Amino acid sequence: MKISFTLNYKPITIDVPPKTVLLDVLRDELGLTGSKPGCEIGSCGSCKVIIDGEAQNSCTIAADRLEGTTILTIEGLSAPDGKPNDLQQSFLEHGAVQCGYCIPGMVMAGEELLANNPFPSRLEIRQAISGNLCRCTGYVQIVDAIEATARNRAQAKEGS
Amino acid sequence: MNNTLQHVGNPNVQAVDGLDKVLGRTKYVGDMVLDGMLHVKLLLSPLPHALISQINTEPALNVPGVKAVITSADFPDNGAFGWPIKDDFVLAHQKVRYVGEPVAAVAAETEKAAAKGVRAIRLELEKLPIVSDPAHALDADAPLIPLDPPQDSGNLCETLIVRNGNPEPILAECATVLDEIYYFQHQDHAYLEMEGALAIPEPDGGVTIFANDQSPHINRGNASAILGLAEDEVRIIQPPVGGSFGGKDDIVYQLTGITARLALMTKRPVRLLLTREESLKSSYKREAMQIGLTIGMDNEGKVRAGKAAILADSGAFASMTTLAAWRASMHALGTYRYEAAHVDTQVVYTNNGYSGAFRGFGNTQSAAASEIAIDELAYLADEDPIEFRLQNILQQDDKAFTGNTIEYESGLQKCLEWVRKQSDWSTKREDYPKSNLHSDLVQGIGVACYFHGSGLGGEGLDYARATLQVNQDHTITLQSGLTDYGQGSRTVFTLVAAETLGVSPGRIQMLRPDTHTALETGPTVASRASIVGGNATRVAAEKIKNMLQLAAADLLSCSTEQLFWEDETVIGPSEIPVSLEAVIDHAFAMGLQLSARGYWQLPEIHWDLATGSGVPYSTYSYGAQIADVTVNRQTGDVTVNKIWAAHDGGQIIYPNGAKGQLLGGIAQGLGYALTEGFSYKDSYPQKKNLNQYHIPTSLDVPEIESTFVETTFPIGPFGAKNLAEPVMIATTPAIANAVFHACGVRCRSFPISPAWLRDRLSDVTPS
Repeated sequence: MKISFTLNYKPITIDVPPKTVLLDVLRDELGLTGSKPGCEIGSCGSCKVIIDGEAQNSCTIAADRLEGTTILTIEGLSAPDGKPNDLQQSFLEHGAVQCGYCIPGMVMAGEELLANNPFPSRLEIRQAISGNLCRCTGYVQIVDAIEATARNRAQAKEGS
Repeated sequence: MNNTLQHVGNPNVQAVDGLDKVLGRTKYVGDMVLDGMLHVKLLLSPLPHALISQINTEPALNVPGVKAVITSADFPDNGAFGWPIKDDFVLAHQKVRYVGEPVAAVAAETEKAAAKGVRAIRLELEKLPIVSDPAHALDADAPLIPLDPPQDSGNLCETLIVRNGNPEPILAECATVLDEIYYFQHQDHAYLEMEGALAIPEPDGGVTIFANDQSPHINRGNASAILGLAEDEVRIIQPPVGGSFGGKDDIVYQLTGITARLALMTKRPVRLLLTREESLKSSYKREAMQIGLTIGMDNEGKVRAGKAAILADSGAFASMTTLAAWRASMHALGTYRYEAAHVDTQVVYTNNGYSGAFRGFGNTQSAAASEIAIDELAYLADEDPIEFRLQNILQQDDKAFTGNTIEYESGLQKCLEWVRKQSDWSTKREDYPKSNLHSDLVQGIGVACYFHGSGLGGEGLDYARATLQVNQDHTITLQSGLTDYGQGSRTVFTLVAAETLGVSPGRIQMLRPDTHTALETGPTVASRASIVGGNATRVAAEKIKNMLQLAAADLLSCSTEQLFWEDETVIGPSEIPVSLEAVIDHAFAMGLQLSARGYWQLPEIHWDLATGSGVPYSTYSYGAQIADVTVNRQTGDVTVNKIWAAHDGGQIIYPNGAKGQLLGGIAQGLGYALTEGFSYKDSYPQKKNLNQYHIPTSLDVPEIESTFVETTFPIGPFGAKNLAEPVMIATTPAIANAVFHACGVRCRSFPISPAWLRDRLSDVTPS
């Protein structure tokens, strides 16, 4: 089955077996292993990517629904030279990373939130990442990281 | 605390391996793909207890793409393994003993073909009666689970005792004696990354395995025995590990043996990753436990004597449950002064999965039971729960209930006082009962505290090794056999080395454990990495520092006493600053070998298992937590509003990481209290995936206010103690005690079931 979509700002056409889910397309066909399997039923958020502006669990998205979509994965978030973006940097500064396995999905959930709600409250941040399980951090420093990024982006906007 | 430190304790330090993780660049074992790599699927037992009457793997080999199928017959000694009790098999042998036990493994070109191969295997099982209730595991007519009973006594896996004086006559004198039993279900680790291994056959007949285990050297010893290879023919390299919490040892050793055997047979790389459903079914759990406590106090609220009776459900295999039960026994009566105490512990086999190591390692249950019991006694004494604790807690030079003296400063009183003050405890204890009247939503506040023995204690010699070398390009390479599965030990070791050497942490690269290059250094368990691994790193760094001093003195034509270092610059009598790089170059020119090994061990102690006496731990860490909860009287739902937590971890080395450990530990404790019962019904697991087994989400974890209190622990690296495990153990009892304050119902069975609580609430009149 041939499908065409935009992945991390680049158009792409690939041939995938039928009934393939996006997570497998990314990991097995394209070698993008930043999105992680954690449950394969959409319960943990480790495989979250942004499809047409909406954060989705890629383990539950059938490849045949991808035609014409625009997809952003963790690999597309950092600068081309490998520098982390401001949200990723904020995760580092706030000690929000322990084992790291849930982090790509967390960052994508955070990005979606900040794109749609530039001034989220802490409760709104907690709601936005409530579909992303983390077993190491207790979430607090992750919420801190997203909150600080929102503040910094707002200030940067004001200043510009 | 030491104010001269630059790197140790610096709040701005970030995780040394954080960047790759936020970029999604970190390669966990499931992210590794090699040319020609085969995929493995496992045949798991569908029954909790059955004889394997026949297993025919021929049909699987006929499935297109399938390259090899193995069973226990493909291993020397049938793949028997397990420590300290060798009762497990890499693949089930003669019989299956739990639902999810691996029976056979198929390697194929694709995962699909491997799964098809698994379905083609003809497995004939002859059902055996089960043991699902540990309380009946030792009945005379209970079906026998182990092949060779380790105690020559049916399903008895282990017995343990503590004998400190005779509590009976004292209990007889006590004004009040509490006598209660506390129950705890199994808990799954639910690390986000599942278990896996990737084995690569080597041309010389050996095998290299990337395995997400906790203790690579133990995995190597185990694998070489399972495979019939010499230890140096097996190389374990540890990739980044996506969480472990005690959970990635025995099960990963099994996957290591399976993939290695298949790689050696097929001469191709072989990878096996469990799915979440397989992981929940097959991997070991925190053992279910029941703890009976009898504690007596006089009429002034002074605790005097206690007895504990512990029954631990080890499931099908011993794994680490006997050792976790030992730790449970050493903490069973809590961090209080007793005149006499006895503990009697039994570990039994059942068909309920199998149990092993999990953060807290037995003290999760013991601290919960004893802290609720102490709360019950405070209530019976009509005293404030914190005042009651402060009257009875262990201080330096006191004797623990196990009979040993508390040798070092305890921060417990400071912890209790901090959480009391920060939470505005006294006001809330007084006000909540009044505002709860006539309300369906009732609020309460409860406390719990703990002690937690540092390191392995009487389990064995507690040592670590580290290697450090300065390279000609002026970088520094550090390696330890202790692993970082997310807890931050790579950052801790890097900071200790940087501080000792007086160099920037950015100059140091910390390698991952690799059994061909890292020195054997015991297991990464028991929250021992910071103390023993940190000290081993410090010792190695001190040796290098001495060499650099010699080189600098030679370069500047002075004595080492005349040298003054500031950051990475050294000044001698000539007062011309010289860079570290120049000193390193000069050291090489002098022929100095700038590499060193560090070894350090905790003082040797001895616990006598036969007499139930001795010294279980050389030191303890301490802490206290307060939980503020709301109980819905209509539904029985418990919501945690806020937690205050204080932990005595000595000098904190990596503040951001330590805080993360504390917060994450509290989240695991919250799950243990309220949602995480990994239940079995007639020995069948009831939770299939993470939509049924509920670990806390970001909406469940409340606001947490925390601190680390300062105490002196002279033998720790820069005064550091342990913290990874103990920070989780006060949360469950603090919540239970808050629920009692809110609604007058004592929870003694965990997790707390809302339906159970709702039913009790209809019996209780609001206080």
